[in-house]
Amino acid sequence: MNIQFVIMQLFNGLIMGSIYVLLSLGLTIIFGMLGIINFAHGAFYMFGAFVAYTIMAYLIPNFWVALIVGPIVMAIFGAACEAFILRRLYNLPPLYVMLFTFGLMLVLQDFIRMIYGAAGVPFRTPSSLDGSINLGFMFYPKYRIFLIIITSMCSLGVWLFLSKTKLGAIIRAGTDNSIMVDALGINISKIFTLVFGMGIGLAGLAGVLAAPLQNVSHLMGVDFLVDCFVVVVVGGMGSISGSIVGGLIVGEIIAFGVMVWPPMAHTLIYIFMAAFLLIRPRGLFGREAFHE
Amino acid sequence: MGKTIQLMGIIVLILGFIVSPAFSAEPLKIATLTDMSGPYAELAGWGNINAAKMAIEDFGGKVLGMDIEYVYRDHQCKADLANQKAIELYEKERADVIFDCPNSASGLAVTNQALKYKKIFIAVTSGTTRYTGDLCNRYTFHYAYNDYVLATSAGMWAADNLGKKWYTITADYAWGHDLLKHFSAALQKRGGTLLGNEMVPLGASDFSPFIIKAMNAKPEVLALLNAGKDTVNSTKQAVEFGLRKQTKIVHALLFPEDIKAAGPEVFADNYVTASWDWKVDQPGVKEFVAKWMKKFGRPPNWFNAGNYSAVTQYLLAVKRAGSKDPQAVVKALEGHRFSDFFASPGYIRPEDHKRVGKAYILRAKKPSEIKEPWDYFQIVGVVPAEQAYQDVKETGCKMGDF
Repeated sequence: MNIQFVIMQLFNGLIMGSIYVLLSLGLTIIFGMLGIINFAHGAFYMFGAFVAYTIMAYLIPNFWVALIVGPIVMAIFGAACEAFILRRLYNLPPLYVMLFTFGLMLVLQDFIRMIYGAAGVPFRTPSSLDGSINLGFMFYPKYRIFLIIITSMCSLGVWLFLSKTKLGAIIRAGTDNSIMVDALGINISKIFTLVFGMGIGLAGLAGVLAAPLQNVSHLMGVDFLVDCFVVVVVGGMGSISGSIVGGLIVGEIIAFGVMVWPPMAHTLIYIFMAAFLLIRPRGLFGREAFHE
Repeated sequence: MGKTIQLMGIIVLILGFIVSPAFSAEPLKIATLTDMSGPYAELAGWGNINAAKMAIEDFGGKVLGMDIEYVYRDHQCKADLANQKAIELYEKERADVIFDCPNSASGLAVTNQALKYKKIFIAVTSGTTRYTGDLCNRYTFHYAYNDYVLATSAGMWAADNLGKKWYTITADYAWGHDLLKHFSAALQKRGGTLLGNEMVPLGASDFSPFIIKAMNAKPEVLALLNAGKDTVNSTKQAVEFGLRKQTKIVHALLFPEDIKAAGPEVFADNYVTASWDWKVDQPGVKEFVAKWMKKFGRPPNWFNAGNYSAVTQYLLAVKRAGSKDPQAVVKALEGHRFSDFFASPGYIRPEDHKRVGKAYILRAKKPSEIKEPWDYFQIVGVVPAEQAYQDVKETGCKMGDF
């Protein structure tokens, strides 16, 4: 195991980490703002990949179009889910919402399976991003570097939106205390819809970006979902910076595990989470009042 | 008058005795246990059910005066469910034989039940060598292929034709380990060397570290000992990292469905073993493929073909045995030599109940070479049965009695 391999692996950790970051961003803002644990998040990620596939296979065979349209479609779909169904469940005990998102996950997966079959669909790297770049000490696939860049830009964008804009401030306030925001005369239900839509849009984006790297099938979200919960818990539920840092940490832990002892790679993150929570239950950047 | 009535009575009685067997003959019940909604639903599932139905229809729907009834069940690739369904089929449905059963763990459960209920089980779609090895029994047959065939045929052919320096990426569970064992043995026999192996947890989605390690070793051949989603992921990522520029890829299992799912450019110029392909030049193949295409709009894969052939051979064995009694049919199958579109020739070994025959080496075509839908493979080699199938003395099968 030479230094070149180690660096290569750390890069790979960043790739997986980037997907986790995008997925966890969505998961955490949905939880932070709406208090919903979205079990269907992995399914929405998968759905985003299939929307992109459908656009490219039947409408416009252009990856960039799919990359922009796909997440937008998913955001609208997510907003519709919230507006028409989830909203009615807020008065009920939280278990009902969890049951609904779990059921939604099963429905989305089987819906895709019925239309596209169980084997999956082909999804190629866009030709402009094919091939590898010579990084001096090794060759690394162009598409993966693109992924890291795009994810960083998106995370920065989400962070800027939430910290620097007025709407972002309202969302953050709503995360802290939605009743107060409501009392101040702001239409909180519209904000809820927007936030849920945004979270799902991010999941869809993750799906489109990850599609060229793996088998696009109806079960592709299942593996990621549990790991994302780990990221959100470690980063702090409701914290944006927590998702970003947590996602990268989890990605690197898995990469490290794969280098050292592959069968344990995924288990390592759970051990890490358990150990971390013993020391700091709120996660990296979580809110103290919430957890301790 | 009395005598006339007596005579008529005797004639009626005699007629009754002659005619009654036709009315009271119990039907022969054939069952298929397959994966209709799990990961192998596309490969097996309805394709194999339709294959069995077609075989029964083509046979005439009757054998030895008995009607042939057909049932099927879904085990969703879960061994506990397979066990349950096997019991249901043998006991409640009173099936005389069960066919197919993808997923080796499920199949081994059915093998158990076959011995318990003393009824026949003909495994087609699963690959474990244990059916005909340490867990063999007199009621179980293994029809289409097994892991040894996959590994040895591809291993020997590729060592002869593609290169002697190999690297392997293996799915880290029983099936993968079994394949690795047989691949290494085949490679050694042909004077090759295994530069290294990576064990990858089943279902991993990121193979990049293993591919990078493999590339560092600069092998001539990379063997991917996995199936389904793992095959698609590992191959996609190997192509992504440019591994194919210096290395050829050999698969343990690769199906037209996988190629369709990922796109042919992912698998172009990769190699795999198969028991049959719809383009094979054997008597009867063109007619069977044409019939299947007409009915289902696509050519059959070799699991479908294997099931059709297995059901047909079973029915012929029943005819030869003169009864549907499992022990008689087993005896009629053992040692039987035949030739049909699937196995030309085929032989059912009495020592371990394997259907033995030649194996084909297939090359996945480049997209530019594909002339019609499903035309994904080119047949580049044939491995004779004696080399493809394990020697009887080495299987470890102690075929007990009934």
